[in-house]
Amino acid sequence: MSQPKQPQQVLQLKKPQYALGYWQKVSLSIWLIALVILPFADIEIVNFDPFLELTRMVNGLVTPDFFATEYLLQAIMQTVNFAIIGVCLGLVLGAPLALIYQHPLVSSCCAFLRAIHEIFWALLFLQVFGLSPLTGILAISIPFAATFARVFHDIINQSSDSPLEIIDRRADIISRFTYGKIAQVMPQLINYTRYRFECALRSSAVLGFIGMPTLGFYMETAFRQGNYSEGAALLIIFIALIGTIRYWCPPKLLGVYLVIACVTLVDIPKVDSSLLVRFITQDILPPAIANAATLAEVQWSSLMTWFSALLSEQAIPGAIATITLALLALAATHFISLSTHMIASKHLWPAPLTWLGQFILLVGRSVPEYILAFIFLMLLGPSMLPAIVALAIHNGCVIAYLAVKQSNAIAPQQIQISKLNQFNYHIMPTIYPSMMALLFYRFEIIVRETAVFGILGIMTLGFYIDSSFSEIRYSNALVLITCTALLNVAIDIISRRLLKFEQTSQTSC
Amino acid sequence: MKTLTKLLTLCALTLSLFVGANTNAATFTFTAIPDADESQLRTRFEKVALYLSEQLGIEVKYVPVKSYSAAVTAFRNNQVQLAWFGGLSGVQARRLVPGSQAIAQGYEDQFFKSYFIAHYSTGLELSDSFPAITDKTFTFGSKGSTSGRLMPQYYIEQHLKQKPQQAFKRVGFSGDHNRTIVQVQSGTYQVGAVNYKVWDSALAAGKIDTNKVKVIWQSPTYPDYQWTIRADVEANFGVGFADKVQAALLNMNSPELLKSFPRSAFIKAENKDFQPVEDVAKQIGLID
Repeated sequence: MSQPKQPQQVLQLKKPQYALGYWQKVSLSIWLIALVILPFADIEIVNFDPFLELTRMVNGLVTPDFFATEYLLQAIMQTVNFAIIGVCLGLVLGAPLALIYQHPLVSSCCAFLRAIHEIFWALLFLQVFGLSPLTGILAISIPFAATFARVFHDIINQSSDSPLEIIDRRADIISRFTYGKIAQVMPQLINYTRYRFECALRSSAVLGFIGMPTLGFYMETAFRQGNYSEGAALLIIFIALIGTIRYWCPPKLLGVYLVIACVTLVDIPKVDSSLLVRFITQDILPPAIANAATLAEVQWSSLMTWFSALLSEQAIPGAIATITLALLALAATHFISLSTHMIASKHLWPAPLTWLGQFILLVGRSVPEYILAFIFLMLLGPSMLPAIVALAIHNGCVIAYLAVKQSNAIAPQQIQISKLNQFNYHIMPTIYPSMMALLFYRFEIIVRETAVFGILGIMTLGFYIDSSFSEIRYSNALVLITCTALLNVAIDIISRRLLKFEQTSQTSC
Repeated sequence: MKTLTKLLTLCALTLSLFVGANTNAATFTFTAIPDADESQLRTRFEKVALYLSEQLGIEVKYVPVKSYSAAVTAFRNNQVQLAWFGGLSGVQARRLVPGSQAIAQGYEDQFFKSYFIAHYSTGLELSDSFPAITDKTFTFGSKGSTSGRLMPQYYIEQHLKQKPQQAFKRVGFSGDHNRTIVQVQSGTYQVGAVNYKVWDSALAAGKIDTNKVKVIWQSPTYPDYQWTIRADVEANFGVGFADKVQAALLNMNSPELLKSFPRSAFIKAENKDFQPVEDVAKQIGLID
């Protein structure tokens, strides 16, 4: 330290040198990586006169038209139905898997299933079940089941073993497990399930973008076609729906809602098993294999050309764009979550202001990224920037929302320091590790969510997958989806290796 | 644990509901995505369904879909037996369902065209020759659109001798003709390709500021939208059913119904009318 010595210093204490702490290193490296890749990323700002369209958007927002959408009640109901049935089915499939999740095969299968975005699941099931509610429900429940398996496993693992010792040794294994292990983590499991229900509502709405009869169906059309008053009304309804979950869907009523959901679900058309057979034996096979009569006739060279062209022209450029976008979004999310956590913390502001902060968090995490990116596309032009901003706002608000829940529970220290110091030197250090854990957990989700922007035209893997579906080349789509999933699994493994902290998976979404 | 058990039971019940649910097989189902206004889709097309049901004497249902590829999937899977397809999606659908027939097209669809539009900052003006748009930023409409993607891409490749990705500084897919107009008008993209009918009606509705965006080129004409019906309707709904549907479509003359598409009238069409579309799609590699 080259600071000049102060003459009046009474104690001859050297100014202590602190090594960078673990979290400082991690935070710095996030930003360093972002800075390094920034010059290679496409973040050009193009806007000549966005104001004509922005004025129309703002006009729409202040004059929401709640009567413009046909079958609005049905859409709200189906959004809820898909979410409830999807979560329940996810629980049924996922909870048992949590018990055997320690097996590497199970955990990697789950990571693979989780890595595929609901939209892609839905696009795949669409080929087999058509526009049936089954498509939407399965698209939600499969990735949700894989997530439940992992998180429930983590929660059960973190529970204490001591209750087991009190239970009579003659008790059977199921009772011992139920009362010794599950009983103590039950509140956590229920809490997490409740949180996932909120996520399911969002997923359910997003599935509307590709044709499920949920709120997203009308929301996407309204925004795409410039009917902003209708779009604003749908957004308001959706945000209100998510913001009031705890009032209209307490866990006790979940069963009742499930029954209602099953009764009011749109009709499920007959499942035609020949479609499944056709999908597996023809659609998803590469053209070289599907066109050949026998295995001997398969032209392996043309198969190789097909595969290598697909890899070099679509999968690799797509994967690079996906990773670039995700890493930049990670840094931006870090920034947004820190700043939005601050505006909603009760340790800094009086109560009414924190309500405002909470409201901002609610809006930020409820508005689908697709819609956010859509708005920023008008403002910033067609680069990666709108997607980065949209991802950062959405994920930053989710992290801040969860972090505020934790930090508001921290008791302030009873010493005379200013609120700002209290926040900076007591609250933040306490909350920061779990915030960072959340951030890295969200990274997996950010990578998944880049898919959605592909549909908006940003050249991530999602873009190429969407193109394959629209060109009816399911074999290409399947290869690309597999690449996406493998990429996610790889990222998951790497981030776990690099960051050897317990992932508090209270919180994935 | 009790809640969990309850949940399990209810989920099992849910699953059991899935089995055996069935819809009436004798319902004739169709889908349609209009090229312009997609608001109030069901309300408008349920009127068309009612009309068809009166004409055909059977129950007719309308299924709303979100994209051309979803319409093709529904048609292929026999979830809909009749569909109002774009040029390209019709070709894709008929390739996937052998024997299916194009039976009617809009009057305007015999000589459809695309407009290339440009932001004023490019300085491009309307001309008869293909405009100098190399190295500009360019947006198509939806990926599966004939007038917003297939034909424009074909003419670009014809004139610039390059794939769009190489010819332009940036290529986008706005997803919709209206978006294309908005994005070029705001300068997000410099040039775009748009369905001429959507442009004309947006212009008439006063949604376009012609100081900001103007038409710089119009493409030669090509066939576009058409009604396509599955081959197996004859087996399921009686001999001569396809002809009955065709007659009902050709006789549809209520302006209110036609406005939903929007077309002035429907005329006869057959598969070979759309051969040019198929050739172009093969040439630019959209179908094998």
